[in-house]
Amino acid sequence: MFSKTVKPMRSAAWRISLWAALAFACGTMVVFIFLHQFVAHDIQRRTDAWLAGEAGVLSDVAERTPKGVLYRRIVGEVAELASREIPHKRVDNAGLNDSVFFLQTAADGSVGLWVGSGDGSAHLAGLRNSQIVPEIPTSVHVAGFDAPFRVVCVRMNNGGQIYLGLSERDQLRVLGSLRLRFVLLWVLIVLIGSAIVYYSTRRVLRHVQDITHAASRIGEAQLSSRVPTTHRNDEVSQLATTLNRMLDRIESSVHQLHTITGSLAHDLRSPLTAVRAKLEMSLTASARDEESESIVSAMEDLDRLTEFLDQSLDVAEAKANALRLNRVGVDLDDLLRVMIDLYEPSMSEKGLRINLCSAGSLEVSADAALIHRMIAILFDNELRHLRASCTVTISLSRSEDGALLVVEDDGPGFESEVLSQVFERRVRGRNSTGHGLGLAFVDAVVRVHGGKIDASNRKEGGARLTIILPLAAP
Amino acid sequence: MRVLLVEDEVEIQGFLQRSLTEAGYQVEAAADAKNAERMSLESVHDILIVDLGLPDEDGLSLILRLRQLGLRAPVLILSARRSVDDRVRGLEQGGDDYLTKPFALAELLARVRNLVKRNTSSATEATRLRVLDLELDLLRREASRSGEILNLTPQEFVLLEYLCRNAGRVVTRSMILDGVWGMRIQPDTNVVDVHIYRLRGKVDTTGRQPLIRTLRGVGYVLKDR
Repeated sequence: MFSKTVKPMRSAAWRISLWAALAFACGTMVVFIFLHQFVAHDIQRRTDAWLAGEAGVLSDVAERTPKGVLYRRIVGEVAELASREIPHKRVDNAGLNDSVFFLQTAADGSVGLWVGSGDGSAHLAGLRNSQIVPEIPTSVHVAGFDAPFRVVCVRMNNGGQIYLGLSERDQLRVLGSLRLRFVLLWVLIVLIGSAIVYYSTRRVLRHVQDITHAASRIGEAQLSSRVPTTHRNDEVSQLATTLNRMLDRIESSVHQLHTITGSLAHDLRSPLTAVRAKLEMSLTASARDEESESIVSAMEDLDRLTEFLDQSLDVAEAKANALRLNRVGVDLDDLLRVMIDLYEPSMSEKGLRINLCSAGSLEVSADAALIHRMIAILFDNELRHLRASCTVTISLSRSEDGALLVVEDDGPGFESEVLSQVFERRVRGRNSTGHGLGLAFVDAVVRVHGGKIDASNRKEGGARLTIILPLAAP
Repeated sequence: MRVLLVEDEVEIQGFLQRSLTEAGYQVEAAADAKNAERMSLESVHDILIVDLGLPDEDGLSLILRLRQLGLRAPVLILSARRSVDDRVRGLEQGGDDYLTKPFALAELLARVRNLVKRNTSSATEATRLRVLDLELDLLRREASRSGEILNLTPQEFVLLEYLCRNAGRVVTRSMILDGVWGMRIQPDTNVVDVHIYRLRGKVDTTGRQPLIRTLRGVGYVLKDR
């Protein structure tokens, strides 16, 4: 039943490691996003502080330097010096630093002084497009540059303005490389983590699987063996111990059941034997017809009682999975032919037809005596419940799950109120003359062999019983 | 024919002893395993009838011990257990037989007879069976009455052969099921009766002496007188 090994992709270990990896990945991602925000914010804060400081210095210098020939040179030098403080700066084709610019505008808005790469017109256009509040650093996009500039503006006394801009390119590059490294490390860590989780859960669950295998073997074979236990006192070994204790209890109740049914059978059988022998002897002794008539009917009653007793005890044992099996190879095709041979005269006497559709020899591993009785019960049922001119069709074929035996008829079918519980003890149709044990016994026999049984009504009318029995090992 | 009967229930022992004696056997009876072992070693018996539920020992281990001590006679096992367990089935393959309680006395007698016959029968099998004017040719699978061939199906022939082999003795329905179809089942419908009824229609046609007799509550008998 559970003896198949679970495929890795369908195992619980796989699911657990998948979920663990997902939780781990999400957690680390959230932490990283916070860190990233913090770092980006911090870099910007430092940039802005530098910009504000430098812009203050420059405006100071610009205010104090007399507007003479040297003014451009002095302010230009100071701006140039400031730009050298920027690490990782890049230079453009002309050898000028393009990550920093300094722009002084006159009161009319025209370019007064420009320090930076190019002629500053693109920067000026960018500055005009964005609304810049003095003293507050703002990001400005300049045509021709991928990264925006962080710009701070200082208003001068003469009505002109000083703009100091620093490219955010370096900041973005730092953040970009931080992200790349994180993603690589993140993937690596998640993979390693989930592999570790997978192998550790698999190890634990392998013990569970061992227990499952052992337990399923116990169910099929014998009740005296036990599932393997480990010395560690963890959850799995507790499971094994609990299972073993449960098996102890089951074994003892099955044993008790055997003892009870055994002694019940014995205590009833001996007096029954004596009574039957008495009746049989008085039957041969008595010559009078009316006397022998009542003796015979008493004997028949006795036989029915015995049969009922047998079947009740069998069903009780079978329902408790306590039937002892003596498995041999049984050819169902052969058996059905013999059974049909036995039942055909009674059926045709009653006006019933019986057909067998079989693809030939099909051997199952089963207890021959139980299977014989099972088929006899099925045939007895058909014989009892069908009206004249009905047809019973027996089909035997090989299916994926084993031997497939279908018994169908075109009679009245199962009554709808009993259909769902037709395999229960004492459940029988309104017009049934049986004692309601037959199908319960059939069900138990099929189950104890590891097979399946299903009862239904055919769409065209009539009953259908489908039985699957495991095939004999080739 | 000497029978050793090992049965602890006094009443059943009495009945069995009476009917076996009536059937012409010399019966010695024991009520427990100890006495049975002593009696079995003191004299030779043709057959043993052993109940499995003895007060001092399990019947099976008694049989196994007697076998080890050199017992050759066949054993008919009486069991109050319903499903006969594997060990008993194993013995059956070794030439012994079993009956579950309650049983028909007729069946017990028939099984005893079969066991004794199996043990002493000669290797040569008859090719013809004859009961009064009924004759069976076992090679050609043909049956005839007073020389007139009966039109039997193969199955009917096997059934008639079984009755002929037990002619003059009662056979029960479960014996017929076991002997002809090889099954130990107890159908709760009259399947065997219908077979007999059909066979009788062909064998006991009008104007002939009826051979197949029904003993209600017991079984059937093919008359040989």
